[in-house]
Amino acid sequence: MTTHYFFPPASAYPLNRCLFLLKSDPAFRARYLVDQEAAMAELGLDDPARSALQAGERDRLIALGAHPYLVFMADLRLNMDRKPAAFEHF
Amino acid sequence: MPLVAAVACPHTPQLLVRPETEDRALVLRVHAAYAQVKRLLTEARPDAICLIAGDHIEGFFLNAVPAFAVYAGAQVSGQFGTYSYTFPVHEPLARGILEQGIEREFDLAYSQDIRLDYAFYVPLHFTMPAPPVPIVPLYVNVYLPPQPTPRRCYAWGRALREILDARPERVALMASGGMSHYPGTDRYASPDFDWDRQLLAALTEGRGVETARLTGEELDKAGNVELRTWITLLGAVGKARAEVVCYEPSWHHGNAVVTWPVAPSGAAR
Repeated sequence: MTTHYFFPPASAYPLNRCLFLLKSDPAFRARYLVDQEAAMAELGLDDPARSALQAGERDRLIALGAHPYLVFMADLRLNMDRKPAAFEHF
Repeated sequence: MPLVAAVACPHTPQLLVRPETEDRALVLRVHAAYAQVKRLLTEARPDAICLIAGDHIEGFFLNAVPAFAVYAGAQVSGQFGTYSYTFPVHEPLARGILEQGIEREFDLAYSQDIRLDYAFYVPLHFTMPAPPVPIVPLYVNVYLPPQPTPRRCYAWGRALREILDARPERVALMASGGMSHYPGTDRYASPDFDWDRQLLAALTEGRGVETARLTGEELDKAGNVELRTWITLLGAVGKARAEVVCYEPSWHHGNAVVTWPVAPSGAAR
C-alpha cells in the first residue's frame, strides 16, 4: 500500500528544502513573505514546484514529492506570521 | 534505580498556539490533564526526564535521518513561533544510555548540536516541575520512511528499561505523540478515533506488548505513526496497566494523556 508519509524522492529535494526552510527558518520565511519569487529562486525550484507553491495546492505539492508534514507545517508557520492575532498563546 | 514515573502526552502545536479553528474548552481540558502529569512528575522527584519523541523534520532534515538517536550535549535549545526554549541535559545519563544501547546492539545515532523540536517542547512547557529538572531527548523516527518497526521500538524500550534500572538516577520516562492524526494529508479531518479507543482499552488491561506486533503500514493507516514513541515506552513499562488521564478527540487529533503506575508516587530513594 502507499503510505501517507512516503519516502521523499530525491527529485523533490529542492521543494522539500524550501518547505523545511519555510517551517524552520524565520529569516527565510520573512524573505519569502516579502518576495516569494526571489526566495524560491534562491533554492533553484523548477517551474512545476514554483507554480504549486504559489498556488498553495497541497495535493499538487504532494504529487511532486513534497512531504505532507512539511506542506502542513510550512503553511501553519506562514499563517502564524501573516495573522499573529488569530492565535492564542499559552 | 527503577523508573519513578511513566507517562504519554500529546504535543500537537494547537495546544500551545491555538488558532481559531480549535475548540478552546477542549484545549483547556488537555491542559488540565497536563497539570495532573506535572503534579505526578513533581511528586516523583526525578533526577531527569527521558523524553521519547519523534523529530518533525526539525533537528534532522534530509542530511541525516536516524531511526533512533540520543541527544548527548550539555543543553539543548529550540524555537517555535514566539517560543524560544533551552533545557539542561543530563549528560552522564544521556551518554550512559548511548553507550549501553550500543552495547546491547542498538546502533544509536547521537547529536550534541540539534534544534529541539516542538514535540519535545510542548509537553515540557506544560508539565515540567519547578524547579526544572534536566532532560534526555530520545529520538524515534516517525515521519520520514523508512521508520523503525514497532517490534524494534518495543525492543529498544525494553533495553532502555534495563539500562535505566542499572543507573543511579531517578528517571521519569515520557513518550510524546499521538494519537490518530494525519497532518498534511486528505485524511486530516478524519482521524481514526475507534482505533485509538481500542488501543487505549488494551493498554488499560496491560496488553501493551500487542503493539509490538503492529506493522508500520497499520500505524500509517490509523494515523498513528507517532505511536512508535509510545511503543518504545511500552517496552519499558511491560505489563503495567495504563491509566487514561484524558482522551480528547478534536476535529483532527486524538489527544491522549496516559500514565503507567511504575512506582509509588514520592517513593523514597
